[in-house]
Amino acid sequence: MEYHFGTGRSRAAPYVLLAPGILLYVLLALGPSLATAVYSFTDATGLPNSPVHFLGLENYREFLTLGAASKENLAALGRTFIFSIAVTVVQFTLGLLVAVLLNQKLRGTTFFRVLFFLPVILGVTIQGLIWSLFLYPLGGPLQGFLGLFGLHPDFLGGQPAEAFAWVIVVQIWSNLGMTMVIFLAGLATIPNETYEAARIDGASRWQVFRDVTWPLLTPAVNTNLVLTIIGSLQAWQLFLVLTGYRAGTQVMGYLVYATAFGQTSGTTSGNTFRQGYGAAAAIVLFVVVLAVGLTTQFLLRRREARLLG
Amino acid sequence: MSATLMPRSRRRRLDPGRMVAYVFLIVMAIIYIAPMVMLVLTSVKTLPDFNKSPVALPTEFAWSNFTEAWNKANFPRYLLNTIVYTVVSATIFVITGTFLSVAIARRFVRGGGLMFTLFLIALFLPPAMIPQFQLILRLGLYNNPIGYVMLFLVNPIGIVILVNYIRTIPIELDEAAAIEGCGYVRYVIQIVLPLAKPAIATVAVLHAIGVWNELVLATIYLTKADYYPITRGLIVFNGVYGSNWPVIAAAVLMIAAPMAIFFVFMQRYIIGGVTAGAVKG
Repeated sequence: MEYHFGTGRSRAAPYVLLAPGILLYVLLALGPSLATAVYSFTDATGLPNSPVHFLGLENYREFLTLGAASKENLAALGRTFIFSIAVTVVQFTLGLLVAVLLNQKLRGTTFFRVLFFLPVILGVTIQGLIWSLFLYPLGGPLQGFLGLFGLHPDFLGGQPAEAFAWVIVVQIWSNLGMTMVIFLAGLATIPNETYEAARIDGASRWQVFRDVTWPLLTPAVNTNLVLTIIGSLQAWQLFLVLTGYRAGTQVMGYLVYATAFGQTSGTTSGNTFRQGYGAAAAIVLFVVVLAVGLTTQFLLRRREARLLG
Repeated sequence: MSATLMPRSRRRRLDPGRMVAYVFLIVMAIIYIAPMVMLVLTSVKTLPDFNKSPVALPTEFAWSNFTEAWNKANFPRYLLNTIVYTVVSATIFVITGTFLSVAIARRFVRGGGLMFTLFLIALFLPPAMIPQFQLILRLGLYNNPIGYVMLFLVNPIGIVILVNYIRTIPIELDEAAAIEGCGYVRYVIQIVLPLAKPAIATVAVLHAIGVWNELVLATIYLTKADYYPITRGLIVFNGVYGSNWPVIAAAVLMIAAPMAIFFVFMQRYIIGGVTAGAVKG
């Protein structure tokens, strides 16, 4: 594009002013991001000035195949998938349902939209603390309510599987609003006349949804699926607030954090501060996310081409 | 027009489909409101009241929970830290990000397209957390507010939003500005900035929310209590106060309530920005 703001030295102005932004990005994000792969081949620790040695694939071998720890690592990988599938299915379905209902020009739409989105703004610390209280086990509100159905949950202090399930609930509660607003944005692009034409043709509500709304909503469906799948594979911060690093509940993201920064239970000890090993775990998770993400994208594009030509 | 609409909307309200929709939405709303009500109720209860029954209404109002939380949780300090971290990092990011985005969006620099791609693919790169820590450690900025703020000077999605927005500003304005004999810096500040204000404001607010809510990086990088932001402060307070839920609830509420009010007033802005970021990023 043409540059209108002088020649010679003044031509350098855009370069000079762009430089800080680019340098910060390369130094603090892009460089470190790529360096994760390099660190994964070393025995780097979190201690300053400690020597770093090249280990080849040793960290990966240890992570995936060595002893009881590797079994626990693979279990964490399995839990990551379970977490991601459960969160994606429920959050996607509920988000779609809520968005479609809120798009019907009911009363109080703004109220519902603000309410469901609010946890997204409050962030993981407040989300977690609010639910720690709500799941209070000694006569808390949910205990009383579920007791009416003959259930006696132990919540976050129960068996690992139960604690894990409650974190899934909180994760969905916290992020449903995000899914909802993306669907609402997609629904807003579908012109009213399209619905009216279908209704005049005698289509039922379900037929309108299946044959008009759902296909035209494809871009929002794709965005939501990719974001929720990738996001839930990487999510772990609610575990930090709700359960801490507890055997039988860890997902991959938490495992990476705990091995690299040694804060398995709020305490720091030198020998768990294994950053090279943690980097290898991070790359394993990254490869999983990339593979799942690209496959999802590929399948969704094919579906989009089939639906929309 | 309105005469034909009236009977239709009256018929709509009796529609059974709408009734089902309302029932579903109200059940959902209860699931969202109940934990928040529990928080508010607990925050005004005495500890004996809470221990007797966590769900009963308070027999007396214990406003002292709030003063206790405010004083013992070192709140003023943590809140000030959070405000400083948020304002400083959002300001630096928005200034550097705007100059960066103008140059890329207007193709004033060679390789701008490639640079933009680097920001676009940021979501699909490995996490930077571990080498970032090594970098800050070796720079001697571990457990240092400057090192902590440095972590928030970059936001690829923000750049993508800015570039896409600036691209929609008519090019004719550049030529008009040039005829006036306007230099580059003045052009960015006086022509682009006012026109890109909605996008810049959105990006600034989104960035600020992210810094404000950050917990993990604060846990990793800041071990000195004087440097804690409010998120870390709340978690540590929760650990120390253990089962004194009324005081913890008061502490959480004091942070959550202003954020909720801010959000209610800015909701159109924030939701629009988040959606744009998600769809474009």
